[in-house]
Amino acid sequence: MNPVLCLSLCLTPNNVFCIVVEAGTPWKGNDTVERHLAAVERVGLSRGLSPQAVSILLEFSLSLRSAIGIRVLKFLVPASTVPEEAIIRGVSWLCVDKMPVNMQVLFVRWVLTVFDLIDSKDQLRAIYGFIFNFVTEENLVRRVLVLLFITYPLLELQTRMGCQPFLMHLLSVYKVYCPELVTISVPAKMKSGFKNHNSTWKAALAAVQKSSTTELLSDLQLSVGVSQQPATRKRKLHRHLTIPAVSSSIQSQSRLSGSKVFPLEQLRTFSQLLENLHRIELPAQMGSLLGSTVALHFLDCVRDSSAFLRLNFWLGHLLHEEFIFCKDGGTQDLTEATGFLNTLISTQCFLQEGFAATELFLYKFLNIWDGSLLRPEILGLLSNIPVVPCSRIKTLLFEPLMQLFFTSSLFFKCSVIECLTNMLLKWLTWHSVYAFEDELDISVTSQTPMNMTLSGLMDSVVELVHFVGRISTIGLQLEGYHSLLLSFTLDFYMMVSDMYLKYDLPLVLMPPAGVFYPALFATDPVNLDKLCHIMYRYRTNLMSAKNQEQKMKISRKTYHEFNQYVVSMVSCLWNSRAFQPGMGLEMDEGLLSRSGVPEPWTRFSLVYHPAFLGYAVDFHENCWPERMKMDLSSIKLGKRWDWYVEFLYCQGLQGLKEFMQSSLRRQSSVGGTRATSDSQSQPPS
Amino acid sequence: MACSPPPATPRSGRAPGGGKSYAGRSRRSLGVELTNIGITPGQLTGLRAPTSRGFPKSRNITEHVDPEQIALLVKNEWKLSYVTPLYQFRHVQLKSYSKQLSAFIVSEKQQGIAVEIGLETNFKVVFSVVLGLAETEDDAETVFIQIHSKPPFAGDGDVPKIIWSGWLTCVGGNPDYLRSLPSGFVCLPLFCASGSESLTSLVKLWFERTFDCSFGTLNLNSTYLQWLASMWTGCHHVSSIRYLKLVWNLPAQPPLDISYTVHPQDAWDLWNSVREQDSTGDTIGINEVERFMKGLESHFFRHFRIYLSAGMLTKVSTAFGSAHCDGKIKVCTLLQPGIFNIS
Repeated sequence: MNPVLCLSLCLTPNNVFCIVVEAGTPWKGNDTVERHLAAVERVGLSRGLSPQAVSILLEFSLSLRSAIGIRVLKFLVPASTVPEEAIIRGVSWLCVDKMPVNMQVLFVRWVLTVFDLIDSKDQLRAIYGFIFNFVTEENLVRRVLVLLFITYPLLELQTRMGCQPFLMHLLSVYKVYCPELVTISVPAKMKSGFKNHNSTWKAALAAVQKSSTTELLSDLQLSVGVSQQPATRKRKLHRHLTIPAVSSSIQSQSRLSGSKVFPLEQLRTFSQLLENLHRIELPAQMGSLLGSTVALHFLDCVRDSSAFLRLNFWLGHLLHEEFIFCKDGGTQDLTEATGFLNTLISTQCFLQEGFAATELFLYKFLNIWDGSLLRPEILGLLSNIPVVPCSRIKTLLFEPLMQLFFTSSLFFKCSVIECLTNMLLKWLTWHSVYAFEDELDISVTSQTPMNMTLSGLMDSVVELVHFVGRISTIGLQLEGYHSLLLSFTLDFYMMVSDMYLKYDLPLVLMPPAGVFYPALFATDPVNLDKLCHIMYRYRTNLMSAKNQEQKMKISRKTYHEFNQYVVSMVSCLWNSRAFQPGMGLEMDEGLLSRSGVPEPWTRFSLVYHPAFLGYAVDFHENCWPERMKMDLSSIKLGKRWDWYVEFLYCQGLQGLKEFMQSSLRRQSSVGGTRATSDSQSQPPS
Repeated sequence: MACSPPPATPRSGRAPGGGKSYAGRSRRSLGVELTNIGITPGQLTGLRAPTSRGFPKSRNITEHVDPEQIALLVKNEWKLSYVTPLYQFRHVQLKSYSKQLSAFIVSEKQQGIAVEIGLETNFKVVFSVVLGLAETEDDAETVFIQIHSKPPFAGDGDVPKIIWSGWLTCVGGNPDYLRSLPSGFVCLPLFCASGSESLTSLVKLWFERTFDCSFGTLNLNSTYLQWLASMWTGCHHVSSIRYLKLVWNLPAQPPLDISYTVHPQDAWDLWNSVREQDSTGDTIGINEVERFMKGLESHFFRHFRIYLSAGMLTKVSTAFGSAHCDGKIKVCTLLQPGIFNIS
């Protein structure tokens, strides 16, 4: 046994090691050494070692040609970075040629594992030649997993050794950096080449890094362009909805000019993106960017119109082949289509705009769609389309949608209305973002031949709102004024009522009678409450529009409509004067008496309205728990009425509260329960 | 021969100027913008066939194109595909494309073995330009690709065998569409391939990965075949079509294939009788085509009591060439005006 240098380690609280070397001390059976080693090992595997400690311990372990060196190397887990000079000194130990082979292998593997943590690599690059000298020794390469960059020796090696997975991966990595020099196609079924060996280190490293809350080292495994496509041969012939794997472009400009490029394949984390944004090149296939979230961030920064054209060509081709031409018998596998369309939807949501290819596809697809195939996805895509010019909106959008709407189920109707609501939301948001910057002067750059002006946008919005008004009027009638459909319709008008104040679009459009009255006479409080809220928002918008009349002109007709609706609501709900002349909705007295309902004008007051009847009964029981006979009319007397109204407000009917408080001028003097609509104070009714 | 495949270019509706609109703050492009440059989204689909076509311009192709290259184009049956515009394709780099494609084919054939680009392989790929096929200055020049295979134990004297050939072309493309493409793109919308299916798909794959384009098969539906039959017949006075042969497939049990050969003079007479009086001879209308086909079909009905219109026209051929509904064409002679008119 060789006399071995031995050591004594002192562990200080801040994780710095001092090494005192005593020559000639035997290490076997030395309890002191053993104790210290165990302590360092514990620290190394739990918290990681500081750069300085790593440096010292590496030197220490490589200088020993014994099991203890290997043991030290095994727990050499850095907490933050590894100093470059430590690696270089390690390599110099490698060159001394006294190191046993298993030690050499372990060392190279260790370097590879911590490769991304080395603080600088400038000098290291200079000695790659030495490293490769070792790598190309066959018995070493068999066990070493290499991740460094060299091509010709490797190509040679491959012809000598055949198809070894690790070499294949190595070459694939090389392809990432120099696609113009080497080409390789990796069988999709191939198992990963450099994984298993370093996994313990990696796990330890990941654990240490996680616990020390430094930036989580991203997956150390390099992706080598093996896409997730199923490997069956059949798949390859049938073109399906798959996103291509990211790969570098052969025709890169900067590679020829020698500047440094960060390959997109290597992009894993957002911080990498931030650091290398200026050095990242567009991939060979733009469609591949849709495959990863970090790549989408990159796409968001791309300002090259050709890049988006490429993306649109690819996307348009894919969508048409799959859904319109349907060459191989259409879509049998819906999960694939669903997955793809969902990726597309989330991409568009992420970028906050729709692709032109999707838009053109949808215009065609709507004409042949049965309304049920992939409904959520298609409607999701549809709600993302940009503003359609008013001149074409009818043929492109309304006619096909109308046909589907009237021939489909209630739930389809609801989803169409929801889709149009989202579409309007997107249009309004888009307008409010850009119009604000431009002081309402939206004109398009000279790049595109069409100008979308503010009035153009407004025309389209008007068309859309009128369209929804028409289809929902008829749709409600067809579906027997179903609460669900009514609710979706009112959601749409919730947005319409607030167009001016919330989205800065100088436009006020009232709902048609076919929507308003069904909502007013709805049997559920939720819809009626929504209607009250909508009317309150209309009022607020109209008031502020009136104050800025020089900026926008609201037609008298709109004020008239609004006033009429408010009069109807107040006379029905509050004054119990429904159906009487001058109270909005009028009805022939003979007709009313034929219905046999006593006092028909009170039937839609806050007490008797079908939507509120439940509350009234509840209130009655609370007020007069001892009464055997229910007399709802007693709620209308004296203070009780005020209490009842307060009671309603407390039931969560916020819309009702807003509407009543804004539209009523209480006559506190006589009667108390009577109020008038103050709508007369509005511009001419 | 005048052969007019369907409008391949704009098949997958996409918008030139994908760069966007509202003051350049967004990349969205309004698809309907195209209206203003005369291309409506509807026409972009290629689903709606044009209702009239210009009569092929009389142009002696042999004066413009090298006869040797013409010989390459006429002898094979070609399978058609459409291609979206190629990004960063340069006609001056055909040499390096040859090297890359051959390395790519080798590496795909032997999965997992890396191939150094530029070394000799069993496959030799030659890219070449066929000058003179382009009709206008907007058309990109046609690119011809040949793949030679060298047998593994070939002697020095053995000539490599051509195992695959194909070409990408654009003749008489829509000038508005072509001009609307940014400078990085080259539009060669028609891809013709002849050779094994596996090599065709490898070549397509390489193009897709290298130039970020997409390929789709191009089928010729009955309407296109009817156009061809009419237009070829219309050329009979310039150069004899020798025969007009049409094949129908009838949905009978079992399926019935009907081959219908018409004497060229009869076809020409029928064609002349359906031509509209006011037509100047420069354009052909869809109604003329329909009348021509109706004439042929009713003649057949008188003799055999079979409605051909109930079936599907699957093939049209004359002495100029043939076209099959599954997208296969054969060019027999190029003595005729403008060979591929892509409208």
